[in-house]
Amino acid sequence: MRAIERLNPIALTIYFLLVSGRVMFSNDPVLLCCSLMGALALHFALHGLTGWKTHGYTIALFVVMALMNPIFNHNGATVLFVMNDNPVTLEACLYGLSAAGMIVAVLYWFRAFSFVMTSDKLLYVFGGISPRLALLLSMTLRYVPLFGTQARKVSQAQKALGLYKEDNIVDSFKAGLRVFSVMVTWTLENGIITADSMTARGYGTGRRSRYSLFRWRTEDALFLILSLVLCALSAIFDRAVVYYPLLQIAPLTVRATIGYVAYGMLACMPVFICGKEAVKWRVLMYRM
Amino acid sequence: MARIDVSHVSFAYPSIQEKTLRDISFSVDQGAFIAVCGATGSGKSTLLRLLKREIAPLGQFEGEIRYNGVLRDEMSEREAAYKIGYVMQRPEQQIVTDKVWHELAFGLENMQVPQPVIARRIAEMAAYFDMESWFDKDVSTLSGGQKQLLNLASVMVMQPDVLILDEPTAQLDPIAASAFIATVQKLNRELGLTVIMTEHRLEEVIPICDKLLVISQGSVAAYGAPKEVVPRMLQDAALHSVMPSPSRLFQAVNGEGSCPLTVREGREYVSAWTNAQMRALPKEQETAHDKAALEMREVYFRYDRHGADVLRGLNATVYENEIYCVLGGNGSGKTTALTVAAGLNKPYSGMVRVFGKKIKEYHNQSLYRECLTMLPQDVQTVFLCNTVREELKDAEEGMALLPFDLKPYFDRHPYDLSGGEQQLVALAKVLATRPKLLLMDEPTKGIDAASKMKLIEILKALKQDGMTIVIVTHDVEFAALCADRCALFFRGNVISEGMPRAFFAQNSFYTTAISRMTRGIFDNAVTVEDAAHLCRVNGKARI
Repeated sequence: MRAIERLNPIALTIYFLLVSGRVMFSNDPVLLCCSLMGALALHFALHGLTGWKTHGYTIALFVVMALMNPIFNHNGATVLFVMNDNPVTLEACLYGLSAAGMIVAVLYWFRAFSFVMTSDKLLYVFGGISPRLALLLSMTLRYVPLFGTQARKVSQAQKALGLYKEDNIVDSFKAGLRVFSVMVTWTLENGIITADSMTARGYGTGRRSRYSLFRWRTEDALFLILSLVLCALSAIFDRAVVYYPLLQIAPLTVRATIGYVAYGMLACMPVFICGKEAVKWRVLMYRM
Repeated sequence: MARIDVSHVSFAYPSIQEKTLRDISFSVDQGAFIAVCGATGSGKSTLLRLLKREIAPLGQFEGEIRYNGVLRDEMSEREAAYKIGYVMQRPEQQIVTDKVWHELAFGLENMQVPQPVIARRIAEMAAYFDMESWFDKDVSTLSGGQKQLLNLASVMVMQPDVLILDEPTAQLDPIAASAFIATVQKLNRELGLTVIMTEHRLEEVIPICDKLLVISQGSVAAYGAPKEVVPRMLQDAALHSVMPSPSRLFQAVNGEGSCPLTVREGREYVSAWTNAQMRALPKEQETAHDKAALEMREVYFRYDRHGADVLRGLNATVYENEIYCVLGGNGSGKTTALTVAAGLNKPYSGMVRVFGKKIKEYHNQSLYRECLTMLPQDVQTVFLCNTVREELKDAEEGMALLPFDLKPYFDRHPYDLSGGEQQLVALAKVLATRPKLLLMDEPTKGIDAASKMKLIEILKALKQDGMTIVIVTHDVEFAALCADRCALFFRGNVISEGMPRAFFAQNSFYTTAISRMTRGIFDNAVTVEDAAHLCRVNGKARI
């Protein structure tokens, strides 16, 4: 388990909301680059140099989205060329690039989030809102794969019994419907057993307490406070960027630089945490 | 002081005239281990559910149930829930949450136990049950035996005084079942926990229980120490097949003296019956086989590309008109081999022929229409309708093949039948296509000894009609009684093969209780009948 995965799920959730939310509400290309770098670095830290297929898809998505804007949006003062009697402008191109970059960055952040936040962590976060909701979620998470496996079993059993009479789509669809309908019965039938098992263990005798494997540690608190401060700094020292009709960027002041540094640090925090641990390990191994 | 007192309990379900339980009285001492037995439908499950207030069935209840002198209905809600633990038959459906640790904590959360206490109790319990390596896992990744242990552990965290178990091992394979029963025994010995357990694997439970409660047709037929109760029950035709094989051998040779219950006692008993007149039974004659019904050559199979091979160069031949039993441990690939033979999974290398024709050459599902059919392990997966009548609408031929009348079940929902009854209805449905080759996966799982005997009769009759039957099973005693040839499966391949007597005489663990009992005394004795015959021929040694 990597250091980042050990952090308290609530702190982690807030962090991911901040780091991706900040970039969603900004169209500053520098901030965007920082965010993209941080997200990519985290991806490689978590998965190593793998998943080139998904990277390929993401690049394709980026290209399509970047091209989409100048083709359909004709705002902007600087006309590059005219296509089908429609002007293609420099500003629309730049805005397209920036918007596509933003979406790709957010995508990478979410990918890392869904990898780090396993189901029990999500449950812990929701359980903070309502214990009942948490139990419901947990039961759902248990039930969905169970339903899938049982449906597959029924379908196989029925295949060997000759339920699927011919190799055609209509027939297999009909058979599929029958399997689904029996699965509903199965669900209700087994739900009774689960309900018995719950009441037998005292469910419904009063308020419930909540147990979870996660605790708040000093590091979690520090991580959360630092994330909040850095995000706030970067939001306060925001640098205004206007794309239409002409690209206008506010001058690079000290304040804006502070904002960039703050966001840069925010985006690099998880990689830094992972990296620190890796270095520590090396040192420890070396000493042994 | 008695811990549980049941006095004059009668019970009737609302829509049924006849009483399910009639005037039942018994008391259980603190720390006792009580095994409850009786045929299917004798009312033992109803009795156990009545003991646990939260899940007691609705109906007309008379009599009294007291815990430590307090009436069941006057206990506080909390106490009733936590002091009496209850484990049911189906491991899968009792689990509520998705993670092992959360399941352990579930009962304690309901008790509103503070977090640090929960942490301590579940840590203790996980260590006691040796669950640490799967503590963080998803429940769906556990094996059946692990799931049932989890159910037991998540009841035990609430520190109950009484543990009630309703056929907890019915859905487990024999090895997992023994491990489970051993754990229950350990809890009883080490914690002084009072245990009340129904079980169809009486061979394992009788030697360890303090008292045996026999329920017959809704009333107490006997209650006492196994040594006293078993000899009496052997006289009862309905319960005879439920009793352990050493005691059945004892009865078969009209034994005198004390009745042996375990393999060890059985060995002592048998050794008195040898004066070397006849030591061995003849091995069965190999019958000449010519045509193969199912042929597998160098079959390799794995479930996903990066996974390990489940079948590794499997070679097996099943001849026409024989009953072929495949035995083997969990995860040895037996079930997978069966699905490959049925064409449900496709091997990536090797050849499977059914009646001389490759599976690929059976077009348009004709394989399943005319040739073979498979009865899966979970018979519930066979049912698609709301009544047995609809289920068997097109299965006239299948029903005709069975020597039983299934009409009494016609108006019931297939899920409401007992394990043995479900098996029969499923079998009728499976036989509707008049298959030439029948594949069965663990047909004895979850059925009692009497139904097992019925099943053996049916299978033998089907064989007479010219059917070829392949059975994958854990149940050694069952295989010994019905197989023409047995095969031992290990790591995706058949390791040894042979006629039952030769096969079981070679094995020292994977063999019947009788074979273990007579090892070194008699040769080739596999079933109770075999051993009884040898005993009778030899006569009792004069010492």
